[in-house]
Amino acid sequence: MAESSTGRPTFGRGWSPALPLTILVPSLVLLPIGVLLPGLVHGGGFDLIGRFVLAAFHPSLDATVLQAALSGLAVTLAMALLGWAVSLLGGILLGLASSRTLWSTATGLSWPANGCRRLLALPRSIHELLWGLLLLQLLGLRPVVAVAAIAIPYSALVARVVADLLDGLPTTRLEALRCEGVPAPAALLTALGPALLPGLMSYGGYRLECALRSATLLGVFGLGGLGTELRLTLQSLEFRELWTGLWLLFLAMVLLEGGLAALRRRWLAPRRLRLSQPVPTNRGRRLESAGQELLVGLLVLGPLCWVLAVQLGVHGSDLLRVQPLPPLGGADWSRVLALPWLSLVANTLLLTVIAAALAIGLAPLFLLLVAPWPAARWLLRLGWAFGRLWPPPLSALLLLFVLQPGLLTAALALGFHNLGILGRLLLESVEEAPSGPREALERMGTGSRLGLLYGTYSAVARSYLAYGAYRADVMLRETVVVGLVGATGLGTLLLESLTAFAWDQLLALIVVYAVLTLVGEDLSDRLRRRLQATPATATTINR
Amino acid sequence: MEPLLTLENVTVPGREGPRLEGVSLQLQPGERVALLGASGAGKSTLLSVANGLLAPQAGRVLWMGHPPSRSRRLRRRQQAGIGTLWQDLRLIEELTVQQNLNSARLAHWPWHRAWLNLLVPLDTQANREVLAQVDLEPDLLPAPVAALSGGQRQRVAIARLLRQDAQLWLLDEPLASLDPRRARDVLALILGLARAPRALLFSLHRPDLLQGFDRVIGLRQGRLSFDLPGPSLEPAQLRELYAGSKLSHG
Repeated sequence: MAESSTGRPTFGRGWSPALPLTILVPSLVLLPIGVLLPGLVHGGGFDLIGRFVLAAFHPSLDATVLQAALSGLAVTLAMALLGWAVSLLGGILLGLASSRTLWSTATGLSWPANGCRRLLALPRSIHELLWGLLLLQLLGLRPVVAVAAIAIPYSALVARVVADLLDGLPTTRLEALRCEGVPAPAALLTALGPALLPGLMSYGGYRLECALRSATLLGVFGLGGLGTELRLTLQSLEFRELWTGLWLLFLAMVLLEGGLAALRRRWLAPRRLRLSQPVPTNRGRRLESAGQELLVGLLVLGPLCWVLAVQLGVHGSDLLRVQPLPPLGGADWSRVLALPWLSLVANTLLLTVIAAALAIGLAPLFLLLVAPWPAARWLLRLGWAFGRLWPPPLSALLLLFVLQPGLLTAALALGFHNLGILGRLLLESVEEAPSGPREALERMGTGSRLGLLYGTYSAVARSYLAYGAYRADVMLRETVVVGLVGATGLGTLLLESLTAFAWDQLLALIVVYAVLTLVGEDLSDRLRRRLQATPATATTINR
Repeated sequence: MEPLLTLENVTVPGREGPRLEGVSLQLQPGERVALLGASGAGKSTLLSVANGLLAPQAGRVLWMGHPPSRSRRLRRRQQAGIGTLWQDLRLIEELTVQQNLNSARLAHWPWHRAWLNLLVPLDTQANREVLAQVDLEPDLLPAPVAALSGGQRQRVAIARLLRQDAQLWLLDEPLASLDPRRARDVLALILGLARAPRALLFSLHRPDLLQGFDRVIGLRQGRLSFDLPGPSLEPAQLRELYAGSKLSHG
């Protein structure tokens, strides 16, 4: 807004797509996909896809199959819970160590916090699957591998969120306490502890959902649990057995997500999109009881994790038992440099862009299409739930029945998985958005689609796009997952390097991946900050 | 002539007794009717039934002599003839004034025009005219609603009502949050714009602003207390209407 010569504010004449359209723009990626896809289709596997779909209605109820699926699910859940618990503990400690507020209050210095943040960027930038495969090579197939593969990157992610939450809190109470002579640790705990709790509870719950998905994915790559069962049954075309496991996983995920949502509501913890918004003061009593219930939960969690670790055979000391490696030989850096880096990086980026556009653009488009039919919304919910739980490499394998391997096939698999995550988030945001503008439009005779587009998408577009930007940088990290099933980009080479013990090449690929994901993270952070810059609608998202 | 709005024995249940009970009224084209009552008397509920947001448990609502259609398309056409000025205005904060004004035409527009409205300015001349009618400058058209002052927003909401070109205007306490002078200005503006054949049902909390209305309807505890020509309203009737509640005067 500028001032005119008369002193009144004037507004720019430049017109650009209004907010509700901006969230639909990414779905334009369907146009080139629609052109290219027919060329990728091969005749062979449509009957297999048909059999796969039909088997959903007739999962195997054979006692042996059920038992195998149930025990696989138990292992996956245990791996997820253990990895999550360790990452939460480690993440909180590392987060405290990365907090500028904490360091400057305690010592007057902030550089140790900055150093800690930089150090944690590396474990964060490497996908849990890659950690899993690296540890598998170093330690052999041990139960501790899957737990550590989840715990290492998750700790770094939790640490960043904890540090950001802490540094984003107002420090007036802290300063007042320090002025009264309260020692730094007590002042920090009193002034910042209760304010940190709601965001931490909400993010912790979200990480547990992620841990279940990661544990399943690690299983797909041979680290045990239900994921292994899913991959084996898919590869042997035993679709009814596959669906037994899938339905069980679906049930577990729905129960977990529903339980966590109920806890969030009960504890008045903010949603993922509003982690750092202050909790209203009149909710203090509810927060106090939430803190007590959380304490009880943590007291139960400790022994539970111990029992699970014993049952699974997870021993921390196993991390030190590195198995003998084959002779590594001398590094051949000229061979590494000769790799087609430019096309590898370009393919990885293109894969990310297509998958992100699909996931970000299709969720609002589908929701808009089904707007007049509330029942169809439930079908979308179901489809998105399957998208979330169905690991992308398995989608890629399924797509290979009818499509040729390549970048687009990998993007479809990755896009479908993330569509499940973004779709759920959009639906939650739409249901929580103020209904006034939409109601007003519908009272004027506007149809439900346009009511949703104008009345609701306007309100949720900024926060949705901001989360989409975050998700895009997660997708960049996840390209390794579809790359590993022979799709395209850096991931394919990574697997080859791992299996061939080409450590020089592997090291170079990991470094390139890490740099790429850190640059992507920085870009998505900048974009999110820009999107959140409008105070009227700003919401804050933490990773 | 067909009444624009008919309510017949309308009852809406509530948690603590009915929100409306056996309410009947008619609104003829050109009529300007004030709806009076204390807070919680059922004024907003009555307006929500009148504009179709709430379906009554018992009784009938007729718009231009017809019940709300079951066909989605016909229902939308009926709704397009009913304009509501909400207490909280319900403008779309993130869109421009022009897009908000045009949103009142969405029921009449083909889909591609509705989408185009989010991309380029449409119907600029028509929007300039309605802005002029509510004493706003046309250079506000590209401004996002979020950037407007409270008074400007209120006028944009009235301009949206004009753009809708509805026959029946329902106004839910639009003066509630205004100071006495601005309340009188806005009321005069609305009464000036709502000329025949438009009909007006105006929910008010302030009996001192009744000048200019043809009829006054009193609502107490969900029931119709009186339905009188404006000038014949007695102070005793007003006292009875607001018995036990605080009367607000300008």
